[in-house]
Amino acid sequence: MKITYQILLFTASLATLTACASDDDAPVVLPVQAQTVNNLPADPTTPSSTTGQPPLSTGKFTLYNLRDNKTVANTDSATNRWDVGFRGTTVIINGGAVRSGQGGAYVHTGTFEELTAIPATATFAQDQSATSLAIPTGSGLGWYNYNSTNNIITPVPGRVLVIRTGDGKYAKLEILSYYENAPATPGATSRSRFYTFRYVYQPDGSTKLN
Amino acid sequence: MLVALLFLSVQQPALQPPDSVRVKQLDAVVVTATRTERRVGSLPMPVTVIGQPQIRQSGSLRLNDILREQTGLAIVNDHGQGLQVQGFGPDYTLILVDGEPLVGRTAGTLELSRLTVGNIKQIEIVKGPSSSLYGSEALAGVVNIITENPDRTQGSVAARYGANRSSDLTGDVSLRKGKTGLYLFDNRYQSGGYDFSPETAGNTVSPFLNHTVSGRLTTAFGSRLKLSVSGRFFAEQQDNAFSLTDQRVVSGDGAVREYTINPVLTHQASDNWKFTYRYYRTGYRTTTALRYQDTREAYDDSYFRQTFDRGEVVSERTIRNRHFLTVGAGFIAEGVEATRYPGRQQFTTRYGFAQFEWVPAQRFTLIAGGRFDAHSQYAEQFSPKLSARYELSQTVALRGSAGVGFKAPDFRQLYLNFDNAVVGYSVFGTQEIATSIARLQQQGQIAELLLDPARFGSIRAESSVAVNLGAVADFQKKYSLPLRLSVNLFRNDIRDLIETQVVARKTNGQNVFSYTNLSRVFTQGAELDGSYRFTLGSGQLTLSSGYQFLDARDKAVTASIRAGQLFRRNPETGLTERVRLADYGGLLNRSRHMANGKVFYELPRQGLSASLRGVYRSRYGFADANGNLILDEAGEYVPGYITWHATVSKTIKMITIQAGVDNLTGYTDPQFIPSLAGRLWYASLRWAWARQSSISH
Repeated sequence: MKITYQILLFTASLATLTACASDDDAPVVLPVQAQTVNNLPADPTTPSSTTGQPPLSTGKFTLYNLRDNKTVANTDSATNRWDVGFRGTTVIINGGAVRSGQGGAYVHTGTFEELTAIPATATFAQDQSATSLAIPTGSGLGWYNYNSTNNIITPVPGRVLVIRTGDGKYAKLEILSYYENAPATPGATSRSRFYTFRYVYQPDGSTKLN
Repeated sequence: MLVALLFLSVQQPALQPPDSVRVKQLDAVVVTATRTERRVGSLPMPVTVIGQPQIRQSGSLRLNDILREQTGLAIVNDHGQGLQVQGFGPDYTLILVDGEPLVGRTAGTLELSRLTVGNIKQIEIVKGPSSSLYGSEALAGVVNIITENPDRTQGSVAARYGANRSSDLTGDVSLRKGKTGLYLFDNRYQSGGYDFSPETAGNTVSPFLNHTVSGRLTTAFGSRLKLSVSGRFFAEQQDNAFSLTDQRVVSGDGAVREYTINPVLTHQASDNWKFTYRYYRTGYRTTTALRYQDTREAYDDSYFRQTFDRGEVVSERTIRNRHFLTVGAGFIAEGVEATRYPGRQQFTTRYGFAQFEWVPAQRFTLIAGGRFDAHSQYAEQFSPKLSARYELSQTVALRGSAGVGFKAPDFRQLYLNFDNAVVGYSVFGTQEIATSIARLQQQGQIAELLLDPARFGSIRAESSVAVNLGAVADFQKKYSLPLRLSVNLFRNDIRDLIETQVVARKTNGQNVFSYTNLSRVFTQGAELDGSYRFTLGSGQLTLSSGYQFLDARDKAVTASIRAGQLFRRNPETGLTERVRLADYGGLLNRSRHMANGKVFYELPRQGLSASLRGVYRSRYGFADANGNLILDEAGEYVPGYITWHATVSKTIKMITIQAGVDNLTGYTDPQFIPSLAGRLWYASLRWAWARQSSISH
């Protein structure tokens, strides 16, 4: 797994960093950064193209902590240390009747950049049961479309997952690919169940997302 | 090579002088547009006629061969080769043989290659809705195939062999004695198929063999009563083999059988009254038996049987030799039985129609008509149509028509009961969904119900409102110029388009689908046609050309683009951006531009003829690639292409030799157009005989 950090508003953030170094008294507002996570395995079932080794399909969710930008062990699933989990096309949130955290989520229609703040009227859904999830499963209902003629899962462009994290902070997340190395046009040989997504996490607890 | 072909030249049917053929073709008499015999030129709606000489000169074998060369028609592939008219898919065009509908569609497509052209006298194509006369399916248009009549005593035998080990044997005989005539026709067509991907098991098109036998008996009782009984039988066998995604190979036979029987009694009660009594029965059945090659276990063992019965009475009344009233009524019983349908399903339809042709002045014709269909499974349909023609001058005539067309939900949309065992999804027709969901719920297979299954029961027929406006200019009468131009503008607004809809989610993560009235779409465009004929050397050169501009869109997509709710991922930056209206390419599988150009050259004295025909289709959408489910990116299109076809023939007395090449440049696109074989050469020999005394017409 390879994780890269991408800095948006590069100059702006540099300027702010300089400012905070010279003026310790003023309250610091760090602009939030967009991060991209590449090739996060979500319980892959297809053999590796390089080694040919069948993967160890565990049937378990890959849990992720957005603040730390890293995966969380499954042994911590009953804590609020993780925010979002992936297995196949199913995305879970750490909040609701079957979770331990304070999370929630909804699917926003619009672009990632334009979503600068979560509106006060927004309602967050939660994972109430294995079949009633905050992020709906099924083609066209949640984050992806499924093409039955070529069996390809494509993230619906213009869908942003607005997330309340396990510990009650806010984030926005856009899934970019469901296939290893995010090929522009995935085909029959592409390995599925590898998420590439980008997100913005707001550590100060506000609903501002840029 | 083209030049050589052009000047090598030519064939002419031995029995008719070429001039009469051409003149007849321009002013052919058709029956499809009004259900009465009318000259094409006098009709207020767009009608195309393809005569037998053109079919022969083009070297066509099957119906799709000749239709693909006509202006505004595209042959599209979806479970077979079907016809696209004015931007409508194959399910929206009614295909008739002698006025009676063919059944046996797969996913809405009626396989056009099922029909040989050997017994066709002429093909009539009416564009725009004709539900006012024909009911369901006549939404985009009607193709009516008029088969041979035993008018005189004659016979012919033809044999053809060509690339892909394809062979065609055709023979017919027509006997006439007094008032009784008998026509018999036989065709055997075989092909070795072809393969674009030899590295995989199976062929792109598997080898097949089919037979067509047809016949007609006509007789008259006295001077006022005529009887015609015709029938047709078709059988096809295909050896299938292909590999599945897990590399296992399945193979086996697929068979198609079809028959029709059609007695028609015509009673000319008086000079002003004519009655026609028709009965029609057709049956269509397919069987598929596919087995795994390694274990010989059954992969697919299925059948499909459909029957269609229709009785109809039509009366035609002539009023003061100028106005015509047509009134008819009928009853249809349809049945289907198939592996994927529960039990035997039946439909009935009762219908009545009326049409009044009013000719207040010689230059003005007005036709008003309508049809009422009462169906056993869905709401009644009323389909009116109004059309008018006005002669501006000797040269130019204006025509316009407005009408309503509909397409009833088909058996699949009502009764399909299909669980995909491999992938795990299920599809149920609207009449099956409620009980099937209940069953799945009982079995604990339903995770979440997304829509109330009860609301699916009241599915409506798809319907459209269409307007066609055009003008025809014929420069023959006034300027003695053999030039004919026509233009037609069309707009079709379709509502209640039936699409698949997710009803529930299963515990295995897959969906349960059914059908519902979802979309509103429109198709609009313009069609231009021109033909010009002149003397070149000692022969006749006919140039013709046609063009269609088409714009077909989903209204909901247009609305959501306008509202800024439709996005796409920029392939270069990877960022999400809004789709602009200009990016939207409309409905899939529709070419914005289609054109054809044809040259026919005849040297009647030498018995030579040649033709060169080019058919162009601009790029068209294949499938969504960037996840927003609409056509908006260059990579989602199949590139545009031209195919060229050429024939040369020579007639010596009763024998005609023809050679030709289809797809001269060998253009192929194995990925997107597997039905387009490469360059195909062929040669044929035809022997035609006619009794001397009957040539004198």
